[in-house]
Amino acid sequence: MAVTTSAPALEIEGLEKSFGQVKVLRGIDLTADRGDVVSIIGASGSGKSTFLRCINMLETPSAGLIRVAGEEIKTRQGRNGLEPVDRRQLQRIRSELGMVFQDFALWSHLTVLENITEGPQRVLGLGRAEARDRGEALLEKVGLSEKRDAYPAHMSGGQQQRAAIARALAMEPQALLFDEPTSALDPELVGEVLRVMQLLADEGRTMIVVTHEMQFARNVSSKVMYFHQGLVEEEGTPEEVFEHTRSDRCRQFLSGI
Amino acid sequence: MNFDVMIEALPDLIDGLWLTLGLVALALLVGFVIALPTALARLSPLVPLRVVAGAYVFFFRGTPLLVQIFLIYYGLSQFEGVRDSILWPVLREPFWCTLIALALNTGAYTAEVFRGGILSVPHNQIEAARAVGMSAVTAFRRIIWPQTIRQALPAYGNEMILMVKASSLASTVTLMDITGVARTLASETYMPIEIYTMAAMIYLALTFSMSQVIHLLECKMDVTRARA
Repeated sequence: MAVTTSAPALEIEGLEKSFGQVKVLRGIDLTADRGDVVSIIGASGSGKSTFLRCINMLETPSAGLIRVAGEEIKTRQGRNGLEPVDRRQLQRIRSELGMVFQDFALWSHLTVLENITEGPQRVLGLGRAEARDRGEALLEKVGLSEKRDAYPAHMSGGQQQRAAIARALAMEPQALLFDEPTSALDPELVGEVLRVMQLLADEGRTMIVVTHEMQFARNVSSKVMYFHQGLVEEEGTPEEVFEHTRSDRCRQFLSGI
Repeated sequence: MNFDVMIEALPDLIDGLWLTLGLVALALLVGFVIALPTALARLSPLVPLRVVAGAYVFFFRGTPLLVQIFLIYYGLSQFEGVRDSILWPVLREPFWCTLIALALNTGAYTAEVFRGGILSVPHNQIEAARAVGMSAVTAFRRIIWPQTIRQALPAYGNEMILMVKASSLASTVTLMDITGVARTLASETYMPIEIYTMAAMIYLALTFSMSQVIHLLECKMDVTRARA
């Protein structure tokens, strides 16, 4: 694996996605350098979640380039869009992109600690002891040490999402992808998850965050992208997007919240 | 009721029990091996696989087991090609014919049980497995299958018990399983009530202990009682 330290953690060029006749993404570019926190905002249906899911190809893009730490995902044009040429390469790149889902998606038959050690053991090939050490350190970090042997069904949404973040971190990814990580949470549980995300941002982790939390986007991001109908309508620093909004649509969207 | 006759019948019926147990155990084993790929084929995006697996399930679920046994035991021998083939030593034995019918039959039912179990695994958990970089095989083995079997266990246990009872049809093709022995004893002694009561009690003991084992397994595996 070529380690090109100078390459951006994540580079997307000209990403397009159609569902049948409907063009959901119409050419999106994104560059995230190491330590960047990119918040993606926009109305529902603007394509922001689809974009995030295209980055690790959970969703099949129709066109575009995806590079993770300088390594491009090898694809070819298939019948339903871009197909991976090399399954193993895609699996390895996916393991370098930690994903956090809106609905947590913890594996319900495994304990919290097992959820975290599963990927390192089965995908990275870590030994059991090493994976457990890593898992316990991460549980400590997200404040769930006492829950290590609990099953997801016995935890609050906020706890589950923090566990899911720890699961993503356990792969020591190049970048973290957050798909509306607080949207499924009760209001009083949002804070604990955002605090963990703030902590990760402070550590200098590369994060792409699809979110409705404008406070988070404003205070934590290094860059904000506003999606509208499958295009980036506005992007810049939080200050540029929130204080000196150029696009009318974006202004409208921000005032409507 | 003549209790002496019942007691006397017991050793012979126990002999039959071994045959019943052998038939059921082998049929379940082979059926399981058939069921898993069949369930996966039924869920496959490849149309030919779906069609073949669907046709198999359609036939074996839609026809009586007794007819299936007769088809294999009496039907196949009609063909010269079968009689001349190297499989004939197997296909002329009622034991193997019954075993084939039972296994194919339970394989079809179990495939449906597994298919339901696989479909019950939340899609987001499968996506999470892919997102972490698992191969399809690893995701199936580590994430999908453990949840499938938990979900399917009650229905699969049911199928196991149905198999015990279905195996009594072996007696129709001369096999001396519990029912086969009971039929012979009943016609020798002219005391069908005593003999069949005894046979029924052996079946009951068998199905009861199986349901207990299954229940124990269910409790052991059920880590998520409060599944959200």
